[in-house]
Amino acid sequence: MSVLLEVDKLVKKFGGVTAVNNVSFPVLKGEIFSLIGPNGAGKTTMFNMISRVLPATSGTITLDGQDITRIAPHKIAALGMGRTFQNLAVFKHASVVDNMLVGRHSHMKTSVLGGLAFGPTTRAAERAHRKRVEEIIDFLEIQHVRDVPVGALAYGLQKRVELGRALATEPKLLLLDEMVSGMNAEETEDIARFILDLKEELEITVMMIEHDMGIVTDISDHIAVMNFGERIAYGTPAEIRADPHVIEAYLGHKIEEDTEAV
Amino acid sequence: MRTGVIQESYGELISLFRNPTQTYWTWALVIMSLAAPVVLTGHVTSLINGMMIAAIGVIGLNLLTGTTGLISFGQAGFLAVGGYTAAILSADYSMPLWLCVPAGGLMAAAFGLLVGIPSLRLKGLYLAITTLAFTIIITHLILSAESITHGSSGISTAKPAIFGMELATDKSFYYLVLAVLVLAILGSANIKRSRVGRAFLAIREQDIAARAMGVPVARYKLYAFVVSSFYAGIAGALMAYQIRFVNVDSFSLVISIEAVSMIIVGGLGSTAGAVIGVVFVLGLAEILNYVFSSMGGAMGSISALELKGFIYGLTIVLFLRFEPDGLMGIYREYKNRWVNWPFRY
Repeated sequence: MSVLLEVDKLVKKFGGVTAVNNVSFPVLKGEIFSLIGPNGAGKTTMFNMISRVLPATSGTITLDGQDITRIAPHKIAALGMGRTFQNLAVFKHASVVDNMLVGRHSHMKTSVLGGLAFGPTTRAAERAHRKRVEEIIDFLEIQHVRDVPVGALAYGLQKRVELGRALATEPKLLLLDEMVSGMNAEETEDIARFILDLKEELEITVMMIEHDMGIVTDISDHIAVMNFGERIAYGTPAEIRADPHVIEAYLGHKIEEDTEAV
Repeated sequence: MRTGVIQESYGELISLFRNPTQTYWTWALVIMSLAAPVVLTGHVTSLINGMMIAAIGVIGLNLLTGTTGLISFGQAGFLAVGGYTAAILSADYSMPLWLCVPAGGLMAAAFGLLVGIPSLRLKGLYLAITTLAFTIIITHLILSAESITHGSSGISTAKPAIFGMELATDKSFYYLVLAVLVLAILGSANIKRSRVGRAFLAIREQDIAARAMGVPVARYKLYAFVVSSFYAGIAGALMAYQIRFVNVDSFSLVISIEAVSMIIVGGLGSTAGAVIGVVFVLGLAEILNYVFSSMGGAMGSISALELKGFIYGLTIVLFLRFEPDGLMGIYREYKNRWVNWPFRY
């Protein structure tokens, strides 16, 4: 498989704090890739750099052969990268349909004057994009709430709308930041199923940050583990589970040191 | 639950009128508006003209403050730019109305672009103060650029006339203002159902997410400023023609605050709310005027002004405290209750 996203020696410093230190990994085309690590490991900072929400201090990010390290943040969507946010960034007062239509922004061409006049071209564009959004709504099984303001929906549904909005950008690479945090077992399973469908039916490459180890080891093809801003492991789920560095990061040091202290 | 309205195509879903009832009511409103000046007295017609002109400006402000979430107290400044542009062109260069009014809008839009630039980095109160300063700067600019603006003496505009037809009376002027208002409402409603309006809303709600979805946030903030000040400029130009005279006092800072209060009372982000807010606030002022003058004596003269200001401020505070969604929020709530009756939801 070819490489879709290449992260090379990425560094992010906030003043004197190094949040991400020299991290590299490839994300292969068509795979499900997970980025895991304890709290404060720098995973979300990593995501924010990849999606250009934060500028990288040094290093390069390459998407499909194109260097995107310094590109304008709003151009990311048009290049085929969609994302969701850790703490839900839906447009709460807009309906589900309108939320997703914002995701279509970079595929539309309506100008301000076009919007004011709403002539035949604008009308045709609105109709076509509405059709595409309805397909995504069907895929995510949220037809029954399509006209509801997103703020009025249950948490799990809001997350699903956010996923739909990211899908509406027609991404090649989809970044999902803690999609299932705060979800119950049933909702988590639904999301896992959607992610697998994305990969298999729509051939979208998925990169996710996740704390739920169950979903990570079940559906990931490759996993990178971060701790204190550094990449401490990279491999398949089986390799990661056996890696001594990972076990140490999650469970701490061997027990002898503790007993000595007592 | 109301049934029987089924949308069968995506075209129907994006149309302005979702069901026959809405269409009938709109036509009824149009016919009533056309007949109004025939039935009403000249004084009431002139009052309605004032409301409609205010509504044009407030619809614009609503796009900026209500939809895009950029608080602006620059409305009076943009009105002044539009009003003065129209007045200067009509009085000193004897240009016709159909050129002066759009010119007022375009000039204000140019100023809007200028004021919009600080908005790229400022939010909330900081932006409010910046736009407030803009209004004050415009006033000083008008007073000092005497060779163009005639300074403090003001300008008398030519009689409003369109294509040789004089609109000397309030009743004939009414139709011109009504036509512009209808265009303003359509424009606002249209922009809100296009990608531009959705981008505005996205910026208000979550600007980082909006950017990640491909919205160039800075550019769209400027668009919001330009469109909003264009509306205000048109309103200012019409105002100049209605009063037939402009000076800096016609565009005092209070108008900016009044305009913001109108969109709060009507319901932030709603075009209909903007219109209703204007009618409510100006109507309330008119009713208070009437009540106090009919009381006569001390109430009619001395305390009236202060008491009016008090009641006026109280209305805004009460709305913010108890009904932040404004009159449109109340309307939606009752509509839902009525549609679902006898069920609670």
